[in-house]
Amino acid sequence: MNKIIRFCYRKIIDNAAAKAWERLVYNDSYTEFKMQAQRFNAENKYSSFAEILQNNPAAEQLHFLTGAAATAYVRQLNGKIPDVLNTLGKHFLPFKNFRFEIINSDIKDSKSHKVAVNFYSEPVEWLDTVGSTMIIAVNNVIENTELLTDSFIPPPFVSIYSIKQTEL
Amino acid sequence: MERKDFLKNGLSALGIAAIAPLVNACKKTDSTTDTGSSGGGNTTGCTEAPTETAGPFPTKSPSAYVRSNIVDGRTGVPFTVNITIKNKNATNCVALAGAIVDIWHCDKDGNYSEYGGTGMQSTDYTAVHFLRGRQVTDANGLVSFTSIFPGWYSGRATHIHVHVYNASGTSLKITQIAFPEGSSSAVTIVNTTASGYTKGMSGYTTNAADNVFSDDTAGVQLAAVSGSVAAGYVLTQNIIVSA
Repeated sequence: MNKIIRFCYRKIIDNAAAKAWERLVYNDSYTEFKMQAQRFNAENKYSSFAEILQNNPAAEQLHFLTGAAATAYVRQLNGKIPDVLNTLGKHFLPFKNFRFEIINSDIKDSKSHKVAVNFYSEPVEWLDTVGSTMIIAVNNVIENTELLTDSFIPPPFVSIYSIKQTEL
Repeated sequence: MERKDFLKNGLSALGIAAIAPLVNACKKTDSTTDTGSSGGGNTTGCTEAPTETAGPFPTKSPSAYVRSNIVDGRTGVPFTVNITIKNKNATNCVALAGAIVDIWHCDKDGNYSEYGGTGMQSTDYTAVHFLRGRQVTDANGLVSFTSIFPGWYSGRATHIHVHVYNASGTSLKITQIAFPEGSSSAVTIVNTTASGYTKGMSGYTTNAADNVFSDDTAGVQLAAVSGSVAAGYVLTQNIIVSA
């Protein structure tokens, strides 16, 4: 039976990032991290995100608070999940939701900054699987009685985030 | 601090250990769709990358906080927040220009914008950081925000959080703004008469009983609030910092 699913793509950005989009997210999120971390780290007592978090659990908010630095860049993706391509080599997964995540950072060492942008696709229909290739219908577009599909081999860092529960 | 409760167990729990090795023998070959550091496509195997049109071309953009209108679709009584930053270390405590001022407050139901406990943000990326904003003080030390009148939640008096930084982002002051109370106060009128504010004042924590404001007997944190439900309210507050 066909399933309605969402994919999650966890895009990791670290100091080795080279593309313009990633450098912008990397540098701006580090600046925002240093500003926001001061709320949870009086007198800059601790240096790394892990230490700050260990000594002040409320610093969990830093994922969310730092994420504001990435929002404008996420909007510039025009609603298509980056990097993830169908077997024709095209971006095809639409998204509206994302979640920013600090993996590591340090207010005294910009190079240790490492973040992830988790993209959650809009619901798509999983029609069939041929070998390792999933057959996906993104927008339920029907042309001349043919349902248009994308073929897709999930790469690393892409997972099925959710499967819609059908009513019994 | 009930909002802490919302913040547990984000996606960070899922993946801190699961970072891919950055060096793979036969990885990514297509510079238009991949980089050395991002996760995702084709980190194993040796499949030639397909071709995509170049782009999009990102442009340098400020943090989503940088804006004067912080409403983001939240409904409520119109509310203007005018904060003047002054420097205690300057002669005559004059206004501090060029300071960065962050504010944030809850919506009419007492909720902050934040990540929930599950992986996926329930709202989309256009309104994730509602009722949070950042402005830089002008020559008169003033910043102004357009918002909605904040609601309240159990255990706290109505308040606005403020974080003042110098121009280079170093923290100068983290504080909160308190609201006047009483039967004719904006807090009482909004919460008992305004459309959408459903909590009333039953169970409200007064400033005197509030764990943040109770020691402010001189009223240093207490703002001036004027206006009406129909016309909206204006809050005015001076915040003195050591710059």
